[in-house]
Amino acid sequence: MNPSAESSKPDLQGRKVLIVDDDRLNLRILAGILKPEGFVVIEAESGEKALAAYEEFRPDLVLLDVVMAGINGFETCRKLKERYGDELAPVIFITAKAEADDIVQGLAVGGVDYLPKPFRTREALARLRVHLQNRLLNEQQRKLVTQLSAANAAKNKLLGMVAHDLRNPLASVRGLAEFLRDDGQAGKLTADQIDLVENIYTVSQSMLEMVNELLDVSVIEAGELKIQPKPVALAALLKQSVTLNNINAAKKGSHIELRIDGLPPHLNIDGPKIKQVIDNLLSNAIKFSPPNSCVMLEAGRRQSDCTVAVLDNGPGIPAGEKDKLFKDFGRTSVTPTAGEKSTGLGLAICRRIVEAHGGVIRADNRAGGGCTFTFSLPEAA
Amino acid sequence: MNFTGKVLLADDEPHIRKFIGLVLKRLGQPAIFEAANGQEAVAQFKLHHPDLVLLDVNMPVMDGVQALAQIREADPEAVVIMLTSLTNRQTVEQCAALGALDYVRKDMPRDEMIAHLGQIVEDCFGTGDAAVAPAGNSVP
Repeated sequence: MNPSAESSKPDLQGRKVLIVDDDRLNLRILAGILKPEGFVVIEAESGEKALAAYEEFRPDLVLLDVVMAGINGFETCRKLKERYGDELAPVIFITAKAEADDIVQGLAVGGVDYLPKPFRTREALARLRVHLQNRLLNEQQRKLVTQLSAANAAKNKLLGMVAHDLRNPLASVRGLAEFLRDDGQAGKLTADQIDLVENIYTVSQSMLEMVNELLDVSVIEAGELKIQPKPVALAALLKQSVTLNNINAAKKGSHIELRIDGLPPHLNIDGPKIKQVIDNLLSNAIKFSPPNSCVMLEAGRRQSDCTVAVLDNGPGIPAGEKDKLFKDFGRTSVTPTAGEKSTGLGLAICRRIVEAHGGVIRADNRAGGGCTFTFSLPEAA
Repeated sequence: MNFTGKVLLADDEPHIRKFIGLVLKRLGQPAIFEAANGQEAVAQFKLHHPDLVLLDVNMPVMDGVQALAQIREADPEAVVIMLTSLTNRQTVEQCAALGALDYVRKDMPRDEMIAHLGQIVEDCFGTGDAAVAPAGNSVP
């Protein structure tokens, strides 16, 4: 190791080091080591003065003597930690007695390292540099995280605005297509014309679903997902969902079977949100099962939880792709069996809704083929 | 159902007025007056005294909340349904406090919207014959 080569590292030049020691000789020795290396040295002769100096100069590192008159080094460190928390610059204790207990105590109150007296110049500088560099990296990381979360918030805002503005026109396109298709007012359509209108209807419908999912994600990401629990008859909710999804299932020759076993009459949940989860799981099950499948929806009680399971006949989740399932845009390599669309957002939304209820959602491949998506809701929630 | 009352339909987006206009015609032969902002809605209301007002929330010039307040001031009995694109609970509650009877989400599937508006009309005006007689100058 060559100290002069290290000192040429530009990023540590001009960094501020606060030295706290009630022994003037020690202060002078340490200052003598640090100043030639390009550090800016601030000196304090007591814990009390150190607190004031820290506030005034905001050093990048603190060298702190343990045994001092007034508040000692550990107490000073504790106070600093209290005031500045994770923002606190690294604190290195200067200690004559290198007993293990002392050091442990020092590290426990927020110190990062210690320097035994008498000082060995090269060792002292090396340790200092390590901690300063860590500090620097930390700062950069914090800045980056702040920037990234600002960028993410901006993205969500844009997403929300775009989705919001697209929704009404899409809903109109869908609705007007329906009127064109089967409203006598607009005149009779030929089979070809009906086919075209049918296409407009289907596409606008699936676009509307996608836009709604984007909107959900932007709302959830912005921390605005609010669960409003009310006593809800889960069984009735499940029946509704099955009736609705069976219409789509029928288009593929598939159907959904509902099996309810011992649900409590009412559950304290956000009904529309939980229905969204059930709808999503059912429509996925239909999408990913081959035509003419039977999808099972099972609901029951397990200990203090209510569980709802959707059993599909799809290809299951490919090995190694399970962790993608419940993430935003986390589409797996599996594709729908009749050209249906997916945004890759549905399950991420489901996960957040279930978790907001204090529940858990999971997916498991079944030995005999197919996949089971299960979510649980605590009865007490 | 044969609803023949006067309806004021206020929304700044013409395609929404078109769509909801068609939905209303599924309920009978209503006389429909249109407005593209809150100010127009208030003026139309005072001119035609409609039986039912469908009022968008976000509109230029004057928003639906303000228009609702002025309409209810002009006629405390006015039946006003808000048109919303998002169920913003706060807005919904605010409108309810100002006397709006209900709200309809504009992105509702057509048949749901027909059923929902049909229910409202039935609750307010009965199923047909009891409905108020239409006025002449309807907008097709």
